[in-house]
Amino acid sequence: MMSFLEVFQYTRQDSAVHNLDPRSKMMLAFTLAVISLLFLNIIPLMIILMAMLPLLAAAKSLRRWARSMKGMSYLLLFIIIFNTLLSTVSNPFSHSIALAIRLLALMTSFSIFFLTVHPDQLAQALIQMRVRFEFAFAMSMAMRYVPTLGQEAYAIMDAQKARGVELDKGNVLKRIRNIVPIIVPLIIVSIRRALSVAESMESRGFGASENRTYMELLRFRRRDWAVLFVSILLLVGSIYTRLFVTLPIWMLFQLPF
Amino acid sequence: MALVEFADFSFKYLGADSLALRKVSASVNEGEYVILTGPSGCGKTTLCRTANGLVPHFHRGYIAGNVCIDGQNTRDATVAKLASTVGLVFQNPANQLVTLNVEKELAFGPENLGVVPEEVRQRVEEIIDLLNLEHLREKHPHEMSGGEQQRVAMGATLALKPKVLVADEPTSNLDPRSAELILDIIANLNKRNGMTVILVEHRLDLVAKDASRIILMDKGQIIADGIPRDVLSMDISSEIGVGIPKATQVYKRLQAKGIELSRVPLTGEELALLVGEAKRR
Amino acid sequence: MIMIEDVHFAYDGIYTALQGVSLQIEKGECVAIMGTNGAGKTTLVKHMNGLLRPQHGRVIVDGADAKNLSIAELSRIVGLVWQNPDHQLFLDSVRKEIEFGLKNLGFTPEETDAQCTQTLKNLGLEGLAERSPFALSGGERKRVALATVLATEPQVLALDEPTIGQDAQQKELLARMLMDLNDRGRTVIVVTHDIEFVIEHFPRTIAMAEGRIVADGSTSSVLSNEDVLERCSLTLPQLTVAARALHKAFPQVSERLTLLSELEDAVSGILGGTQ
Repeated sequence: MMSFLEVFQYTRQDSAVHNLDPRSKMMLAFTLAVISLLFLNIIPLMIILMAMLPLLAAAKSLRRWARSMKGMSYLLLFIIIFNTLLSTVSNPFSHSIALAIRLLALMTSFSIFFLTVHPDQLAQALIQMRVRFEFAFAMSMAMRYVPTLGQEAYAIMDAQKARGVELDKGNVLKRIRNIVPIIVPLIIVSIRRALSVAESMESRGFGASENRTYMELLRFRRRDWAVLFVSILLLVGSIYTRLFVTLPIWMLFQLPF
Repeated sequence: MALVEFADFSFKYLGADSLALRKVSASVNEGEYVILTGPSGCGKTTLCRTANGLVPHFHRGYIAGNVCIDGQNTRDATVAKLASTVGLVFQNPANQLVTLNVEKELAFGPENLGVVPEEVRQRVEEIIDLLNLEHLREKHPHEMSGGEQQRVAMGATLALKPKVLVADEPTSNLDPRSAELILDIIANLNKRNGMTVILVEHRLDLVAKDASRIILMDKGQIIADGIPRDVLSMDISSEIGVGIPKATQVYKRLQAKGIELSRVPLTGEELALLVGEAKRR
Repeated sequence: MIMIEDVHFAYDGIYTALQGVSLQIEKGECVAIMGTNGAGKTTLVKHMNGLLRPQHGRVIVDGADAKNLSIAELSRIVGLVWQNPDHQLFLDSVRKEIEFGLKNLGFTPEETDAQCTQTLKNLGLEGLAERSPFALSGGERKRVALATVLATEPQVLALDEPTIGQDAQQKELLARMLMDLNDRGRTVIVVTHDIEFVIEHFPRTIAMAEGRIVADGSTSSVLSNEDVLERCSLTLPQLTVAARALHKAFPQVSERLTLLSELEDAVSGILGGTQ
């Protein structure tokens, strides 16, 4: 079931979408997300969702998306059923279906960003958007150390299992208590590691100057401006439509229950 | 003027009971290859951190005396300022790699110091060439072996173009072959590129032959400082339990029995040579 | 004591770590396991106390098939000492750390108390008994971690890279302690890179590479085999280098010396003792 997270994982590909500047993609994803939130009718949401599929195809990630959506199916079913039963609106089932499609559309819009933006690019984008470089660094460093931390956690579990700690047995309460012999060493080891890493970073001048340079800078190209322009147009157009335009009857179609 | 000058330097970590360094005095000239060794807790790690300003700026405490690097007193110069003169390589390879690939790691140091992007790129390429890192260019630290990680860490330090390379037990966590590779790189940097080296190492049998000097420490003080052959044949080195090369140990034992070889051997091959010589006499 | 029969193991069923490993370690032996990183040394040792179970093959510990025993039961027989003591320390006193393992492995309160006191004494930790392990130095933490394992008096003691970061004197103390335990009948297994340590104190060496055992025999023969050294990413011990160099000029010197005293005697022999 956790496989639905797959759609938020970056994979290296050579696609038109991958080669766009992360900042234009940020705008695109934001626009698509907002549009998904503007409408709560089945047909418009379906159109929006379908419109994102070509983008996914361009990003060579359609199959990955499909797998993720499959992983989501239980969650969606759950949402539909519970919403139908507990909802107070006139056509609860229809409403629930719309909600489910909206969730899919939201997820897909963000996934277009995360599938095609490498964590380093995201950090660089933030830095060039004037976020303090320390924060951007903290973010990419956290990502760098995730696998290392994972390995450390496994080593700790091994060490404690060998002392007789049984991690898979016992009721909920016991299992929670058994987290202590894992978490405490993990925290301590991480703190010690942080000190060591800090020494290395200091020794290479980290934080020395606000005028830090960057070997690879992100530069907007014509296609990025085009994406930005189209996104803004879509955004403005959708908001206008939502506020001032009455949708045709067939778009407002609802299921009878 | 010496490149690295310790003048009667003492240091006590904040909250510690005793001095980590007691009136340490030594000078290292350009081009020297100095080995720093001694039992655990003797102060060699602290001394390394003194060379680039981590002591006293990162590790605060009580200080007395002075340390001058290329004329700059470490009391006044910040760690960042000293970073382009002294490069420090640490024991744990993984903790020195903070970015998501090797290229970025090599660029990290120069970027921090505001070096122009074109020059950063140039330095990165030079280091990749120098240390044979081409096949590792895009790799994440987790995808590399300990030896590869340490090579990258050294590269990241060299990217700052320091005059002095200080390495604190860089091979302790590595397997024997990787350890030898790293030590070879260091020896070559000294021999071919004239890099001044201060190396903390326990495996003296691997490095004594390339070093120009050994400084022996114990309990925060320097107790011996001279050429390897002299220092390692002294009684004091056997007494404090330092990893004296086996060949040298044999020399000392023979000496005690009254058998003299013409000089102090540092390697097994040298020992055999000297025995051959002695036999012919 | 420990029998590994044709064990195959792959992490998550995919990453092959052991490919048909078989070995036998008798009670009271003193064995070193060496090899490249990723050769499977630690994986192998983790099979001995049940942390890992083979996908194929058998592991027999003290006559019983390991698959029928829990990790706790196996840990009472095979005690593993890890490279990083910080991976297990989490309580607020050294005493509690030692008691933790004892309680978990089924010792009664009286036994726990007795064993704890005895172990503190044996490892010179009495003065630190009430201190928090986090406040101790690296070397002291290593001793505490060792104490937690020794307290349960396992028949087999397996140590993972115990010499990393230790100076010559500390290694000497460690060696003495291990030899002492071995003299008293315990089986000692050490996973390490440290060639000098092994050649000096371990009569038997198992060399591994890529999940297989490449050589298993007397240390002097295994560690002087160039082919084995190459495959397992090891280098010649200092004594062997010296012995070989001497052997070239003086064929009467054996190439298989393992003790410093042997080298000394060889040279004395050549030079006649008087100059």
